[in-house]
Amino acid sequence: MKKEVFDAIKSELSYIGLLFLTLMIIFKIAFFKENVIVLLRVILSLFWLFVLPGYFIMLYWHEKLGFVERIIIGTILSAGIIGTFSYYLGLIGLNIKYHDILLPAAIIFVGLFINLRKT
Amino acid sequence: MEKICLAVFVALFLYIGPGTIFGHSIMHVFPYGYYASDTFQHQVRADAIKDAGNFRNEAFYISKGAENIVGHYPPLIYHISIIFSYAAGIEAYDAIYFIVFFFAIVGITIMYLIIKDFNRHIALISLPLAIIMFTYPLLIGFTWGHWPSVLAQSFLIVFAWCLMKIELKHSFVLISIAFSSVLLTHTSEGVFAFIFMALFFAARFIAKKLNRAEIKNIAIAMSISFIASVYYVIIFMNTWSRTQPYTFLIEPLWDGNPGFYIANFGIILIFIIAGIIFSSFKLKEMHTSIIFAFAMLLSGFLNYVGFGLRSFQIRFFWPVYLSVFFGFGIYMLLKIVFKKWSIAYTITLSLIFVLLLMGYPKISFIPSYTKSESQGIMDSYHWSALKWLSNTEPNSKIYFFYSDIYDQDAVLRNTKRFHYLIDRDSFVNAIQEKKIKRYYTSELPGDSGGGIITRTGIFSFEDATTKYPQDYFFGPQDICKFDYIVLDKPQSDKDIRIYNMLVASELLKKNFIEKKFDNEATIILKNNKIGADCIEERSF
Repeated sequence: MKKEVFDAIKSELSYIGLLFLTLMIIFKIAFFKENVIVLLRVILSLFWLFVLPGYFIMLYWHEKLGFVERIIIGTILSAGIIGTFSYYLGLIGLNIKYHDILLPAAIIFVGLFINLRKT
Repeated sequence: MEKICLAVFVALFLYIGPGTIFGHSIMHVFPYGYYASDTFQHQVRADAIKDAGNFRNEAFYISKGAENIVGHYPPLIYHISIIFSYAAGIEAYDAIYFIVFFFAIVGITIMYLIIKDFNRHIALISLPLAIIMFTYPLLIGFTWGHWPSVLAQSFLIVFAWCLMKIELKHSFVLISIAFSSVLLTHTSEGVFAFIFMALFFAARFIAKKLNRAEIKNIAIAMSISFIASVYYVIIFMNTWSRTQPYTFLIEPLWDGNPGFYIANFGIILIFIIAGIIFSSFKLKEMHTSIIFAFAMLLSGFLNYVGFGLRSFQIRFFWPVYLSVFFGFGIYMLLKIVFKKWSIAYTITLSLIFVLLLMGYPKISFIPSYTKSESQGIMDSYHWSALKWLSNTEPNSKIYFFYSDIYDQDAVLRNTKRFHYLIDRDSFVNAIQEKKIKRYYTSELPGDSGGGIITRTGIFSFEDATTKYPQDYFFGPQDICKFDYIVLDKPQSDKDIRIYNMLVASELLKKNFIEKKFDNEATIILKNNKIGADCIEERSF
């Protein structure tokens, strides 16, 4: 099972890379006055916060759903999870400034863990 | 081919939406493209949460000076934006606006996926209708600050997708994430999600597709959603529900707002109606996209039974929700003529509607995109004055003399200080009477939507405003009791400029008043002897 999951991830890494490049081009068209470094930072953040955690959440259903569908749905669901956990973590005392590192990492880890344990 | 089409549409929406409104940049030196007070309301709250590190309480400068006011706005939009602001290294005011636009576009693509599950051709024909979302009057959803509603509706669309996929193993995970996100972004959209859910299961029941596993899935999903959102829902029930309870009211027009009405679709409405008629023939095997469109059409008309503002907000996404009727209507009508359909027809039709809806050519009875390019109500001069004030002593009190920009009073919260604003009528009277005064009728601006409420226990809440006299919020204020006095010099209004500068020169006659800040738009004076006679009342 582990091998199957890693194979799926490996085969889709190129799609993720292609998506990154496509978004970079699209963003450069829409925000043509913006510095490339800023655009790169914005897209990297979108990937780190929403696209990658979303990908790992949706990996569970990779046999039933196509890559494009999983990546789009995963992106917005990841925003929902991150926003919700951030609210509660803030309330229990973990300052929001740490959430951009911790939450996506935790979601990616949990997503990977669940997929590896999937029977 | 399909993926390329989707990428082209995303590029188009990004270009005409955030691209145009943001002046084709992401980072700005001041809140850019902010057109109304509510935009600043959300921006200031995001900044306040960023400063506090959490959203336990509202900042005092948002709650009319009251401390320990429970954070009662649905929190999700602020948290996502602040995290994004940290990660991308951009200001919260740029981050929150970007997030709203970005996820609206993600929502459009999800609606495309839902319709594609019904019919790929219809999905592609439907997509151009979303262009209308990025032009007035619907653009006010973004530029006037209906941001939580707009973001919640993106989650509402993903909720519809999740229900469509209810047959997936463990689909309750997806449904619960989507539904709790709706509740935590703009709770009232939860009602519309319920309307859709009721129609969805009714349709499945009629079609004899509803089974025990699905009922179990939805029950688990609702339970998880309840657990995930209950802490906030308790706050919501004791703030928003208490101050803005449901009342039956027929409200055909959206008072004070350029609302979107079904007739605004123009000739497009013919295709939408055709789609509705064709859908009615398929009542027993109705696809999720059609049920969702019916649910949102109905939700958008609940202004006739008391949902007022909330229903008008649903209409921001009507071009997306109802696009399936539009695409279905055209597709079925043309199928009468073209028996053998091909992808070439679909792409040609999609392209034709992109051009028409973009205004090439502009036809009066077809709603079309109109470029809206303006920096909004903020400018760099006022922004630097507000930033300067936010660095003054934390307990300083600020008094604002009149200027048009301050009429959108959430702007003033960027001082992050306790502040009063002169009442417009009192100011105009003073000019007309040619009088310089020490006491002006003034208001204490702040956000009282949802009340100014303190949490005293898990289920107990108290109105924090009752301990203050009425004139604390609106009444005469002694300008000599303030640490800083802000006087604008608007170039567009000579009377305001002359009066404000006259007051400034009168104040500066006292040796304990000093000019601390001065630029093209504003002058800020500091009173070093609070309570002393700082101005000579006289006529001029």
